Amino acid sequence: MNESASGQPWMSLGGSAALGWQERLRRFPWSLLLLLMLIIGFGFGVLYSAVGGENNLWLFWRQVIQSGLGIGIMASVAMLASEKIYRRFAYLLYSGSLLLLAVTMIMGSVGMGARRWLEIGFFRLQTSELMKVALILALARYFHDHAKAGALGWRDLGVPFAMILLPMAFIIKQPDLGTAVLLGGVGLSIVVVAGISWRVLITLVIVVGASMPLAWNGLHTYQKQRIITLFSPERDPLGSGYHIIQSKIAVGSGGVTGKGFMAGSQSQLDFLPERHTDFIFSVLAEEWGFLGGVTLLVLYALLILRAFLIVEMANDRFGLLTVVGATMLFAIQVVVNVGMVLGLLPVVGVPLPLISYGGSSMVTLMIAMGLLAHVSLYSRQHGRSV
Amino acid sequence: MLDDDREQFRGDARRRLLLVGGCLGAGFLVLGGRLFHLQVMRGGEYRTLAEDNRISLKPISAPRGRIFDRDNHLLVENSPDFEVMVIPELAGPLRLLFKKLSRHLEFSEEEIRHLLQMARRQRSFLPLRVKSHLSWEEVSSIEVRIHEFPGVDLQNQSVRFYPFDSLACHVLGYLGEPTERERKRFSRISFRSGDLVGKSGVEQHFEERLRGHEGVLEMEVNAVGRHVRELHRNPPESGQDLHLSIDSDLQREAQEALGEETGSVVAMDPHTGEILAMVSAPTYDPNQFIRGFSHAQWQALSTHPDRPLINKAHQGQYPPGSTFKIVVALAGLAAGKLDPKEVISCPGYLVKEEQRFYCWRRHGHGSVNLLQALTQSCDVYFYKLAERLGIDAIERQALKMGLGAVTGVDLDGERPGLIPSRSWKRKAFKASWYPGETLITGIGQGYVLSTPLQLATMMATVANGGTVYRPTLLKLEPGQQPEVITRNYFAAYHLEVLRQGLEAVVHDPTGTAAKARPEGGIRVAGKTGTSQVARHRREKSGQIIKSTNEKLQDHALFVCYAPLDRPRIAISVVVEHGGHGGSAAAPVAKRVMDRFFAKSGSSS
Repeated sequence: MNESASGQPWMSLGGSAALGWQERLRRFPWSLLLLLMLIIGFGFGVLYSAVGGENNLWLFWRQVIQSGLGIGIMASVAMLASEKIYRRFAYLLYSGSLLLLAVTMIMGSVGMGARRWLEIGFFRLQTSELMKVALILALARYFHDHAKAGALGWRDLGVPFAMILLPMAFIIKQPDLGTAVLLGGVGLSIVVVAGISWRVLITLVIVVGASMPLAWNGLHTYQKQRIITLFSPERDPLGSGYHIIQSKIAVGSGGVTGKGFMAGSQSQLDFLPERHTDFIFSVLAEEWGFLGGVTLLVLYALLILRAFLIVEMANDRFGLLTVVGATMLFAIQVVVNVGMVLGLLPVVGVPLPLISYGGSSMVTLMIAMGLLAHVSLYSRQHGRSV
Repeated sequence: MLDDDREQFRGDARRRLLLVGGCLGAGFLVLGGRLFHLQVMRGGEYRTLAEDNRISLKPISAPRGRIFDRDNHLLVENSPDFEVMVIPELAGPLRLLFKKLSRHLEFSEEEIRHLLQMARRQRSFLPLRVKSHLSWEEVSSIEVRIHEFPGVDLQNQSVRFYPFDSLACHVLGYLGEPTERERKRFSRISFRSGDLVGKSGVEQHFEERLRGHEGVLEMEVNAVGRHVRELHRNPPESGQDLHLSIDSDLQREAQEALGEETGSVVAMDPHTGEILAMVSAPTYDPNQFIRGFSHAQWQALSTHPDRPLINKAHQGQYPPGSTFKIVVALAGLAAGKLDPKEVISCPGYLVKEEQRFYCWRRHGHGSVNLLQALTQSCDVYFYKLAERLGIDAIERQALKMGLGAVTGVDLDGERPGLIPSRSWKRKAFKASWYPGETLITGIGQGYVLSTPLQLATMMATVANGGTVYRPTLLKLEPGQQPEVITRNYFAAYHLEVLRQGLEAVVHDPTGTAAKARPEGGIRVAGKTGTSQVARHRREKSGQIIKSTNEKLQDHALFVCYAPLDRPRIAISVVVEHGGHGGSAAAPVAKRVMDRFFAKSGSSS
């Protein structure tokens, strides 16, 4: 099975050349964009409060600009590229990202005690962000190229597993456990949907479970500390347990309706650490209460459901798996971040999608959203319905 | 074929996606449930925690009550004390600031270095104390330029101030850091570091009244403790003012009259027990306790042989010497064992159980009656009287007149003195009472001890005709009845006899206290006393070898009241190692009386 074999029939329906601007605009998944913008708008309100209103307004405006850029990037990723371009360059992107990860490893700059950034001129590139997109595309391409009827056994999965584990290893070394786990989760979701055999999946679960104690020993002290404090934050209330305790107090004290905009004592009085980045959900929960928290979770759920609907539109395996990967990249971050803020998961620096302040993660997510829209845009379904 | 494969894959993928989506859905449900648990079920609990987080309580100290004398002169006040604080984060470069400040404040290069070091150690938004106890020049110099120094603040706190320095220092007392015991005693007060508590005098005795209740300032703070805004202010309740019975003019006169001597003066209103003057010497300056001592200063004060920190008026115990003869004479009259006209011969000594008991006048007084015995303070007369009375009768009479027990004055640490008795001796020495000891007791020596305050009380009791009032340092309010400890009914005739004798002590040419005669012809009833410090060595001839060592000199005592017919003041004077009561103590009493009558007029 080769590329042209699977791609040929729809080229006639409308390659990039055949798809006019008006058609592209018409096919664009506007409801997806609407949900994204609702969440982003929601985020602006929370961020404005989290940065302390007037005091650090520049942070707020930067986020507004970054969000605007993000939407532009999403539209560009969705509409400017021809149908097959991502599949064609998937491996190249992956190799390049892996190389950059290695380079970062050797000569990256240290921030917050971890080696995550690569400085290119004035530009600071968080190479692990690039890898998120690259891994999705590369795995989708692999399963597309090696399509096989029936369940996938160990033999079929050797290469994909290597593709997942290699960047994970680099990123764990940085050390950035959160991103590594995220990559693993995204990769595994793709593999599951691609057709992993139940036997392999169950074995995998058992093996991972059994190797936990071993992995425990491989963790950095601070990572172990985070896991210990997750289960008993009171052991070290002013040290590593501080984030969790203060975050729980902020969330809990919000109650049903919250303390009101800019009125959260935990948020406004600096008790919440990282409140405009990783812990922004605490600000939301404190000031807008249970109703606000649930509203955001419902918005996320709707977005994820809407994204999964694009699976039905995918023309091929590459498109389908790209949709799965991109959606899971988004969904896993939501679950891990909120779980962390609510004291259910260890504190691993994962931002809240579209709401936490920060450019890198915004760009990555919007690229992923762009890929979703891209798949939707070139769907044969449109052709049928037209 | 290809389409079939694709459709089959799509179907498989849909099923598998259901698994992934199911996991996600479960995750979202857990998150929602957790949110419900934290916010809806335990919301109240966390709300309390959040409140605790953000509110810090800052105590506002209550102004301590002021202390006035009986004429409403301010003896103790709270005076402003200025200090310069700087908040480093607002001040810019500190070294430069200190350099500029040193043009207006006195501080050395050394102190600047120390301050810079301190500044490095604390958070930059917390105020740093640059200098305290500013002089007025420094305050005014800084105050007008305060806008030139951002982040610099002139702070005003109130400290205890004793405007007359050492005047009545033992009555007023001083403040200091509370000890563990004091913390327990005032368990209702929560002390904080830097809090001071009365350590002696009325400052100590009326601590709870003077102290007041501190207020609270509720401040909103952020996570690092920076104050954000004031939420609520509960104002402090000032302590109560005290109005003392002390007359500061009299106090000053008594203090000056004592001069460089060590000793004590107590002057009292005989009809109320109000203490008009209470001096203990040497003195100290209570302000020093607020300013702080250098190590050497503190050493000098606390180890001074004359113990300036002790109030000798109620804590110094002295043998009353011949002043005790007043008690013995009254006891004899009351018991009916003494006829004032009876004449006793004094050869200069008395032999009892093969032991010689000498009179202070080694040649003897010849034949003396009660009047003469009091006037010339004949010891042999009182040896014989004591022998006739027995120790029990003397003890009873002494206790009736306020001796041998604490008087209950408004001061802590009062000593009871000592009136010996048979039972006391059995307890203290496991020995029985010897008759010779009765003789010695009869002239106020041996075991007898009394405080100057007790002697003044005794004199007031004689003056008012038998009522022992509790000595008090608080001025009686109009209509307030003085507190009575014992009400004795001394026969008027007995008192008259005694009074004649005491008058003669001062006014008779043969009397021992001619130096106590006040100006203006005011008649005084008094009694001198000389109490032995060390047993003088005597040669066989009976010649006393007086020591030239000052510390072995006798204590000089004088007690009196005046005017004779309508007493308005009772006084006791003790001059440690002063020698004779008539020469060392009586002139002090005279000056006090002169002052008293000059102020109030010789007739009331």
